[in-house]
Amino acid sequence: MENGLTLEIHNLKKSFPGVQALKDVSISARDGEILGLIGVNGAGKSTLMNILGGVVIPDSGEILINGEIKRIKDPATAEKLGVAFIQQEIQLFENLTVQENIFIANLKKWRAFKNFPFLNLKSMAGEANNLLALLGCDIDVHSMVSDLAVGEQQMVQIARALSQGGKILLFDEPTSSLTLKEKQNLFKLIGKLKGSNVIIFYISHHLDEIFEICDRVVVLRDGGVAGEGRVEDISKDEIIRFMLGHEIEQSIEYRKQPHQKKVLEVRNLCGERYPKDVSFSLAKGEVLGIWGLLGSGRTELVRTILGLDKKKSGEVLFGENGELQSINPQNLYKHIGYLTEGRHFDGLFLNMPIWQNITSVFLKKFVTNKFKLLNEREEKQAAKHSISQVNVSAVSENMLVRKLSGGNQQKIAISKWFIKKPKILFLDEPTKGVDVGAKAEIQNLIFKMASEGVSFIIISSEIEEIMGLSDRIIVIHQGELVNELGTMQISKENLMKSVIGRN
Amino acid sequence: MASKIQSNLSIILILVIIFILAVLSFTVNNFASINNLQNILVQVAPIGIMTFGITFVMISGGIDISLPAIMATSSVISASFIAKTNNILLGSIMFLLVGGFLGLINGTAVAYLKMVPLVVTLSMMTVCMGIATAWTDGQSVGGLPEDFSLIFSGTTVIIAFIGIAILFGIFLKNSEYGRWLFYIGNNENTAIASGLPVKRAVCFTYVIAGFCAGMAGIINTAVLSSARASMGADSQILDIVTAAVIGGVSVKGGSGSILGAFLGAILIIIINNVLNLLGVSDYYTGLIKGLIIILAMGIDAARTRLFHFES
Repeated sequence: MENGLTLEIHNLKKSFPGVQALKDVSISARDGEILGLIGVNGAGKSTLMNILGGVVIPDSGEILINGEIKRIKDPATAEKLGVAFIQQEIQLFENLTVQENIFIANLKKWRAFKNFPFLNLKSMAGEANNLLALLGCDIDVHSMVSDLAVGEQQMVQIARALSQGGKILLFDEPTSSLTLKEKQNLFKLIGKLKGSNVIIFYISHHLDEIFEICDRVVVLRDGGVAGEGRVEDISKDEIIRFMLGHEIEQSIEYRKQPHQKKVLEVRNLCGERYPKDVSFSLAKGEVLGIWGLLGSGRTELVRTILGLDKKKSGEVLFGENGELQSINPQNLYKHIGYLTEGRHFDGLFLNMPIWQNITSVFLKKFVTNKFKLLNEREEKQAAKHSISQVNVSAVSENMLVRKLSGGNQQKIAISKWFIKKPKILFLDEPTKGVDVGAKAEIQNLIFKMASEGVSFIIISSEIEEIMGLSDRIIVIHQGELVNELGTMQISKENLMKSVIGRN
Repeated sequence: MASKIQSNLSIILILVIIFILAVLSFTVNNFASINNLQNILVQVAPIGIMTFGITFVMISGGIDISLPAIMATSSVISASFIAKTNNILLGSIMFLLVGGFLGLINGTAVAYLKMVPLVVTLSMMTVCMGIATAWTDGQSVGGLPEDFSLIFSGTTVIIAFIGIAILFGIFLKNSEYGRWLFYIGNNENTAIASGLPVKRAVCFTYVIAGFCAGMAGIINTAVLSSARASMGADSQILDIVTAAVIGGVSVKGGSGSILGAFLGAILIIIINNVLNLLGVSDYYTGLIKGLIIILAMGIDAARTRLFHFES
């Protein structure tokens, strides 16, 4: 240990049926180093991390820790070697408390008496609080994980990794569901960890984050290392070129001004807890941003409008030609699409093929013949068309959605609504876990559809994204609409001011 | 890919069934006679139809163990009606209505009141057995017009059984409603967020199942020329669930087919017959069938694993 921790990866190869996920990847890192790992969806980042985490066994190649060859044959071995993996998708036990989740891997250690299976909850709580305090978040350690917001769950996940005393920390998109404040705390923590003899791998699609905290960046493309360099010596454009193999097309779509006609109006909407007395309206072709911190009630607002959460009072009005009429959720649903926040939880049917996922939102369209049966051939064609619009680098529409990379899954979750030709699309975190190329595609698509007259209501934690996309932004804080910013007033300062100082 | 696994499974089931039949036709006299094969199919029909019912329920992620009890209840009630009025047509419809109504109660409790399917249908099973026993005072309801048994027997039953299988098979696989069930069984949350009428769809699976129990009641009552509470013996629910699981209906929901259920039901009845022919005592029959269920569950689990990790 005195010489410091080193990690060397030599000529790692791994192929899955049909794809060579990694072709000859070699990377080395030493203690105190934060290594940014970047690449488009499907470039091999996750495979590489899964190999280090013991989830996937490489076909060939070596991993050396402190100069010794190590075979990481399962997650337990990885943990013993000090590899801690913080995954992008939340993997916690929903019905257990925060502290139980944090120490789940080694509950034995927390026994009150050595030979009896009773836990010393008090000292567990103390230590859990310490860990969470390091991250600068004040979650009640006794609360159930299912009661936490997604961002808070992510913090619990990080705390769990820290509790295992990892020496090699793998962060896979840790900030994708964090609020700004939590993100800054995490960065502070990563800065602190850096001094303590650890190697940190940091996967992100956000170049800003990479430049902010990493020392060195490795760019993967098509399963190989496309380029690497110290962050001081490399520019954003170079990284993007490495990632894509070509320059990014900055196609700024021409935007028509939104129509004056209203399509949706929400009057004094109240839910069980959130929202509280929210009123706003949406015009045809308008992109309305909903900005707020995690847990502010922004998702609840959308879910209450759609009737997925219970409405206590208030009214929702909808109209296609500018004449608004009160509408119930079932009927509203016929005209809208809703991309949910958690694509695995309620966004996709993972064990079903792509085409069945896509047609799920508008099956009626495919009930064609006189016996009222589904026309599978048409379904598949429509699905093919939908996925070609979003450049899903899959494959056939018969593939199971489970087998797609996260970014492609997200594209499926969005594009499935297109076949319905919705009047309004509600998008909760539309570019979560999506690479820069795909992100630009999704954003361009939103602009294109908006100028064709589709209205959007977009929730995003990324301030740049919501600023770039929205014509107008409403700010939600503790379930209430606290501010509304028109095109002219949208700025980072105004947005931050609306929520900070209130906290 | 799911359908590929399903069709592979059906082929395996058909081969197993043919193998067993072939062995039996060589070892048992007259086994392969048309008459005997027809008998087997008539025996399969009630269990098979109830298996279709449970297939709808299980694909959407539920379970219904009250089916034999519902079958018995609808039988004793409707049989007394027929015995009293001699109206076969109205009586036959009554079988279906009583079954469907009891299923509706199950469905409402599960879908709208958010109760656990196993508990709901377990209660329904007890309640129905209570009703059936009280209604008949533990006796059998006889005095049915001869025509009833004549209409619902032999060829009619077989044709009806196969016809229902085809209809349900198409309904499940190719109708909008059928597809909803697969969506719901696969991920109920996504189904809700996609705007599907999840509650209504789930509730209706139990109505279908109850309806199937009613149909099975007609056949059983016709075969026995009478109805009694003991028609709904608990052992049947094991046969039904086993048939469904062997036939590829996942216990976790989201996959299954009527063809599978059909073949599963045939297989389970043939196994019953074989055990019978071999003179295996009832004690061991239970034991062997229990083992088959565990084996079927194991295969189901292995299939799920395969399904997740296959290339």
